[in-house]
Amino acid sequence: MNPREEKVKIITEEFIENDEDADMERQKKNSKVRRQPRKKQPPTTVPEEMVSEKSHLGNQQEPVQEEPKTYLLSMTARRGPRSLPPIPSTSRTGFAEFSMRGRMREKLQAARSKAESALLQEMPTPRPRRLRSPSKKELETEFGTEPGKKVESTQQEIDSQSHSRVKFRDSARKIKPKPQVPPGFPSAEEAYNFFTFNFDPEPEDSEKKTKASHREGTNQEEEEGEEEEPPAQGGGKETDEEELLNGDDAEDFLLGLDHMVDDFIAVRPADYESIHDRLQMEREMLFIPSRQAVPTYKKLPENVQPRFLEDEGLYTGVRPEVSRTNQNIMENRLLVQDPERRWFGDDGRILALPNPIKPFPSRPPVETQELSIKGELETMYKKAVKYVHSSQHMIRSGDPPGNFQLDIDISGLLFTHHPCFSREHVLAAKLAQLYDQYLARHQRNKAKFLTDKLQALRNAVQTGLDSEKPHQSPDTIQKTINDYKSEIRQTRKLRDAEQEKDRTLLKTIIKVWKEMKSLREFQRFTNTPLKLVLRKEKVDQKADEEAYEAEIQVEISELLEEHTEEYAQKMEEYRTSLQQWKAWRKAQKAKKKKRKQAAEEHPYDETEEPYPEEDLVKPIPPEPTDRAVIEQEVRERATQSRRRPGEPMLVPELSLAGSITPNNQCPRAEVLRREDVKKRSLYLKVLFNNKEVSRTVTRPLGADFRVHFGQIFNLQIVNWPESLALQVYETIGHSGPTLLAEVFLPIPETTVFTGRAPIEEMEFSSNQHVTLDHEGVGSGVPFSFEADGSNQLILMTSGKVSHSVAWAIGENGIPLIPPLSQQNIGFRSALKRADAISSIGTSGLTDMKKLAKWAAESKLDPNDPNNAPLMQLISVATSGESYVPDFFRLEQLQQEFNFVSDQELNRSKRFRLLLLRSQEVPEFRNYKQIPVYDREIMEKVFQDYEKRLRDRNVIETKEHIDTHRAIVAKYLQQVRESVINRFLIAKQYFLLADMIVEEEVPNISSEGSGILGLSLFKLAEQKRPLRPRRKGRKKVTAQNLSDGDIKLLVNIVRAYDIPVRKPAVSKFQQPSRSSRMFSEKHAASPSTHSPNHNADYPLGQVLVRPFVEVSFQRTVCHTTTAEGPNPSWNEELELPFRAPNGDYSTASLQSVKDVVFINIFDEVLHDVLEDDRERGSGIHTRIERHWLGCVKIPFSTIYFQARIDGTFKIDIPPVLLGYSKERNMILERGFDSVRNLSEGSYITLFITIEPQLVPGESVQEKFESQEDEKLLQASEKFQAECAFKFPNRQCLTTVIDINGKTVFITRYLKPLNPPEELLSVYPNNLQATAELVARYVSLIPFLPDTVSFAGICDLWSTSDQFLDLLAGDEEEHAVLLCNYFLSLGKKAWLVMGNAIPEGPTAYVLTWEQGHYLIWNPCSGHFYGQFDTFCPLKNVGCLIGPDNIWFNIQRYDSPLRINFDVTKPKLWKSFFSRSLPYPGLSSVQPEELIYQRSDKAAAAELQDRLEKILKEKIMDWRPRHLTRWNRYCTSTLRHFLPLLEKSQGDDVEDDHRAELLKQLGDYRFSGFPLHMPYSEVKPLIDAVYSTGVHNIDVPNVEFALAVYIHPYPKNVLSVWIYVASLIRNR
Amino acid sequence: MTTASPSVFLLMVNGQVESAQFPEYDDLYCKYCFVYGQDWAPTAGLEEGISQITSKSQDVRQALVWNFPIDVTFKSTNPYGWPQIVLSVYGPDVFGNDVVRGYGAVHVPFSPGRHKRTIPMFVPESTSKLQKFTSWFMGRRPEYTDPKVVAQGEGREGAVFSIHGLTPPRPLASVRIKET
Repeated sequence: MNPREEKVKIITEEFIENDEDADMERQKKNSKVRRQPRKKQPPTTVPEEMVSEKSHLGNQQEPVQEEPKTYLLSMTARRGPRSLPPIPSTSRTGFAEFSMRGRMREKLQAARSKAESALLQEMPTPRPRRLRSPSKKELETEFGTEPGKKVESTQQEIDSQSHSRVKFRDSARKIKPKPQVPPGFPSAEEAYNFFTFNFDPEPEDSEKKTKASHREGTNQEEEEGEEEEPPAQGGGKETDEEELLNGDDAEDFLLGLDHMVDDFIAVRPADYESIHDRLQMEREMLFIPSRQAVPTYKKLPENVQPRFLEDEGLYTGVRPEVSRTNQNIMENRLLVQDPERRWFGDDGRILALPNPIKPFPSRPPVETQELSIKGELETMYKKAVKYVHSSQHMIRSGDPPGNFQLDIDISGLLFTHHPCFSREHVLAAKLAQLYDQYLARHQRNKAKFLTDKLQALRNAVQTGLDSEKPHQSPDTIQKTINDYKSEIRQTRKLRDAEQEKDRTLLKTIIKVWKEMKSLREFQRFTNTPLKLVLRKEKVDQKADEEAYEAEIQVEISELLEEHTEEYAQKMEEYRTSLQQWKAWRKAQKAKKKKRKQAAEEHPYDETEEPYPEEDLVKPIPPEPTDRAVIEQEVRERATQSRRRPGEPMLVPELSLAGSITPNNQCPRAEVLRREDVKKRSLYLKVLFNNKEVSRTVTRPLGADFRVHFGQIFNLQIVNWPESLALQVYETIGHSGPTLLAEVFLPIPETTVFTGRAPIEEMEFSSNQHVTLDHEGVGSGVPFSFEADGSNQLILMTSGKVSHSVAWAIGENGIPLIPPLSQQNIGFRSALKRADAISSIGTSGLTDMKKLAKWAAESKLDPNDPNNAPLMQLISVATSGESYVPDFFRLEQLQQEFNFVSDQELNRSKRFRLLLLRSQEVPEFRNYKQIPVYDREIMEKVFQDYEKRLRDRNVIETKEHIDTHRAIVAKYLQQVRESVINRFLIAKQYFLLADMIVEEEVPNISSEGSGILGLSLFKLAEQKRPLRPRRKGRKKVTAQNLSDGDIKLLVNIVRAYDIPVRKPAVSKFQQPSRSSRMFSEKHAASPSTHSPNHNADYPLGQVLVRPFVEVSFQRTVCHTTTAEGPNPSWNEELELPFRAPNGDYSTASLQSVKDVVFINIFDEVLHDVLEDDRERGSGIHTRIERHWLGCVKIPFSTIYFQARIDGTFKIDIPPVLLGYSKERNMILERGFDSVRNLSEGSYITLFITIEPQLVPGESVQEKFESQEDEKLLQASEKFQAECAFKFPNRQCLTTVIDINGKTVFITRYLKPLNPPEELLSVYPNNLQATAELVARYVSLIPFLPDTVSFAGICDLWSTSDQFLDLLAGDEEEHAVLLCNYFLSLGKKAWLVMGNAIPEGPTAYVLTWEQGHYLIWNPCSGHFYGQFDTFCPLKNVGCLIGPDNIWFNIQRYDSPLRINFDVTKPKLWKSFFSRSLPYPGLSSVQPEELIYQRSDKAAAAELQDRLEKILKEKIMDWRPRHLTRWNRYCTSTLRHFLPLLEKSQGDDVEDDHRAELLKQLGDYRFSGFPLHMPYSEVKPLIDAVYSTGVHNIDVPNVEFALAVYIHPYPKNVLSVWIYVASLIRNR
Repeated sequence: MTTASPSVFLLMVNGQVESAQFPEYDDLYCKYCFVYGQDWAPTAGLEEGISQITSKSQDVRQALVWNFPIDVTFKSTNPYGWPQIVLSVYGPDVFGNDVVRGYGAVHVPFSPGRHKRTIPMFVPESTSKLQKFTSWFMGRRPEYTDPKVVAQGEGREGAVFSIHGLTPPRPLASVRIKET
């Protein structure tokens, strides 16, 4: 038979067998399952059995043939329960073997006959068990199935045993009766066995083999169980074994086959097992863990209370979420499986690690698209990056890394107990400890202190009793004495206790020492050098005794006193209670009586009535104290706790002077011990943040159990240390080191530096158990000093490490400590984790209350180490402890670096100056060279500033004279300041273009020059073309400018119609036309050249020799002198410009209020020759200059216009003595007739600034509005359309009112009444009234908005606001004028357009009969539409009270346009049929109310002005005497009101006549100036600019008169008449 | 010292713009000027100067040597705004246009003695490629409106700079500080 065949046979045989026992399957399972509960719940069922089994397992079992296999360590844990089941079975086999055999034989016999028939029947059953092929078995490696299979496979061989096993089990488990065995019947098992057992024909043999095979199988099983998956190399062996096994099997069956195949066939009915039985069996075998919660006591060792770590303040973490039922099931299961309750923690719950699952994915989301997956998986190579710790204490970049240093000095180690300690050592250590204690106590000497205190108290009581202080009430004395007494009592007790302790300590020391001595004697050698010397200090016996006695006496008396007091008290108590008792007795008696009576009546009541109160016990009177008893007590105590009198004081002294017995004299055990000690050596590892950073050298353990290292470790650290630990390692001989203990060192304070850190001792102890076989006492094991082994001691290895930890100090003395900021990173990260910021916002972090609240709400675990810093912070913050927090300290060294106190610093003038300058306070913004020393700073530097601060609300009248204007000025100043401050903040953002000059981007789309190609053509252009084109000047932003960089260029081209001199002033002679002609002809040659001319009559002089003088910021330049009334200069004058305070910012430049004065003078030559005889030899002439007129142009206008080019009307005074305009002559000379249409003289100018400055962008802001949204949209649309068609024409629909709101412009126009006063002047002449009104309006001072509100925007104030402010620019003037005209019944419009010199401005247009008039509201002049000299140069739009018309004509010059707004082709109207006028209400008031002006105030102002001006003129002439001609002045003063009345017209001749009459002898030159009044300064400037004061003729006299005419609403018209007089000779 | 003449301290700077390393360019000249704070005022010497045009040396160093002297004295009451020397280097481009080659600034040394300073130089870049081309083509490179901007902090936000000369002129300054 080849093996293959054999095998097949076996298998079939198996089937036969198996099929044979259809229900044997169950039986097997049954047994299997039954085994399981057994192994699972041995303690619950038969724990003793298990134990005994185990024990006899070791004894009885034959040595298991273990295969040389290595077990994985991790598997061993599993091994226990797994390997358990087969073992008992094997052992049992041994047990049951013999008894079983006999029985088996019998059964075999009985069964054979039956089996024969059964086999026949069961042969053809199907074969579902093919699975159980050996190869399959090999493959099936799953743990759960494998053993089962194995069992099954082995079962076949051992089923002969199995019944015996069952038996055995039954007998062993007597407690459990066999279920349901009816008496007399065979039990189910018996029946089963009977039918199924494979009865060996030769039981003896087979028995042995089975046993062997079984054992093998068992081993196999064990191994299989251990190694879930048989390793590859083991596989072969395994298979071999398997085969072997099978071989065994085969043998088995082969053996049996011969005899049994036929014999065993039996026919029997289907086996039925009742459901009840099955359930019963299942109940036995299956374990279904309960879902009920397990009571805690079951989960814990007996008599142990559950301990909740969380409640104790330890951090436990969050457990993972597991449903309660599952948890219960698991607990139940574990309880059953694991008897030792290892799975349960102290709190009675299953041990669990904190939930490791992060709430958010740490892996980046992978794109689900298939394409990208490849990309995701692609390997990317990155450069090596320096590893950065994720530690929370990592230094942030920026901090210098790595140069912090922690010095750890480990000086040594001392064991207070070591396994190698001999008994003597133990005692020595104890002694040393006690001695240390003694020394410490001795140093404190508490007993002495208490004795002294007691003494003092006694004295106090004594004096308190003795001295009768009259002023103290006896009560208080008594009270204090009582206090003292109680104090004494306390102190005495304490002292006694202390003394007793001292004494016992001393006694113990002595006792230990004695023990040691006896030990030394006993063992006859000495191990330790310790030696205790008791020094006796002699005491004076007598004194001592006395003191002792006295002390006792005092104490006795005190005690006695106490006792008597107590007694008295008790007596008192006794008495009261006695009385009570008596009363109670009485009451009781009465009650009894009553009850008796009652009982007689109701005999049954008595029993029911309960006693309401207990019987009061009769109080016992207290015993009086006996002195003798007390004395006895005291003395006893004294002897116990105190030194006896006369006994010498014992002072122990411990020294190391003793000698140690050398080795050769010691017994062997001791020598061994010493050698062992020598073998031992120790080293320490230094752990920083749980990482070993260094270790000490290994040093041998000294005989005195000291190890000296003396090493200092410099830890160069990067991180803030989290933990610092030392690990003590001990090596014995050549074996590996063992960790004895770990010592955690505290991280030093940041103030602890190397050199200053004290050596500290850190105790450690180890819980290792060491038993030694020599003298050494070991560790953790009991030992005893006594011979009989009683009084056992267990000592653990312990010791002290002396060390010091400190921060190192760098080379330059800087401590190398990680910055404090590092330490708070932990705090931050904790916050981050908990995400406090998102919940309360960052500001909340500083608000501790909020933070605490948040922490409470979010249920932060206070014990979580992550939250520790936060919790600490909160606790500190909420408890309000004054503790310097470790997280935030700004400028912690500030105190050290403050070289002066703050007050001192604030007092420093220099500091203040610097501060003010850096704050850009206007006064100091450009302060240069702030002095070095305080003393060099003048107090007056601050005066202006302080005054300004002080006067912010104080109205100052000195400058302004007129209160109303002062208020207005103040108001304006304040508005201005606030506005400027607001805009200073947002000012200068430099653009790239401001900084860098760069060519424009070539613009391909735009026309002409922009195209790249064209610009390339430009390269080919001639460098110097014949007809040069004008190039735009470079614009300069105002930032890098300084003084002298900016120049004002004034090009004076020509002038027209300059007044000419009237010759022969003194002769009243009107020059004839011919003579004029004649003189004109001679004009070419200077008159003075002719010697024949009389000085009085400069006949030969030209009509006029004008020159122009430009003065700006007090710099004066003048042109050469030209000749004739229409001179042409064509000269360029250059004037430097200085910005106020040297501040060239845009805001500052915008607010420059300076004015360019262009004055026209006539140069007059006077012959001053006194003596005619000298005429031949020299020319003596004096040049006089006579002011003819001026043009004023504000700098702001130039600044905003960039250039001013045009012809301006010269402001010529109404009366110009000695000059006249010669119209006729001009006509004759055939000048352009157009010019004649207008009066006055004109000058053509071109003014610009070099370099060109970029005016500040006006802020384009959307202002809020109360207008209808539709209207606003329409206006925007309208403006956009207009701007698209004619970008240069001004179109205005909405303006901003003084409150900063957008207002539709037509709301400003509304008929408003002019002052009554003006109307009544010319009641019938409308035109005159109109002129008067215009004059009134022009008298209101002009103040450009841009000056007041630098560069912001144009603000429109309503007319009443304008009149209140008495200042405004063109718009306000124009609006007011227009309103007046409307009120007068004229057709009037506001004209928005450009004019010179103002630029964009507003004029007023009126429709007079047949023609239009254009009014300049600021000057009061009016022009005809076709007047060439009209300053209005183009017209953008017209605004009426109910509509706006935009000029869509081709031209915009007023000369060339048609003002007929009804023509839609010429004027585009805002409101049309599509958008009808909605009837907007006006923003103007109903009517204007005018106060009459205060005449008296005006007169006063007039006087003051005159005085001021006179003083000024005298100031301007510092080198000359200034004489005032009073007569002339009074004449002029009379004349000025006339001028006002006539508005400067037609008075000249009369006036001159009058003047001449009065001042015949004088050559007179002078003129009246007329101005609106705003401030004094413009007046002074005007007077200065005329240059009257420049005359330096020796005998010149001056006359100055001022007249102020008040108009309603405090509008003042100022006339100043200045004249110089020279006496004719 | 009396209050009449306020006390000041003097800063005397004399030195020279020695040489420059502009590997790409030749025939350069430099201009220096000083930028100082409000409390400073020059008392003597020249505040500004333009050097001669120098060519590269023919040796390996390829240095552009100017040896252009600086001699100026400041007075001040306050160290705040300590003078800075601003150097701007110009030279012809391919087409012969004079263009700027570098700007740089350095504080006048704070301590008396001989000092050597090396200043990195840079120029503003054109804002776009097109502009870069045209500016190159037309010889109108972007320049500072005022070289003194270099020494100031304001307004540099928007600009992009390219560093031209890695190694730059070295003014060799000797500084004397004197208190009166």
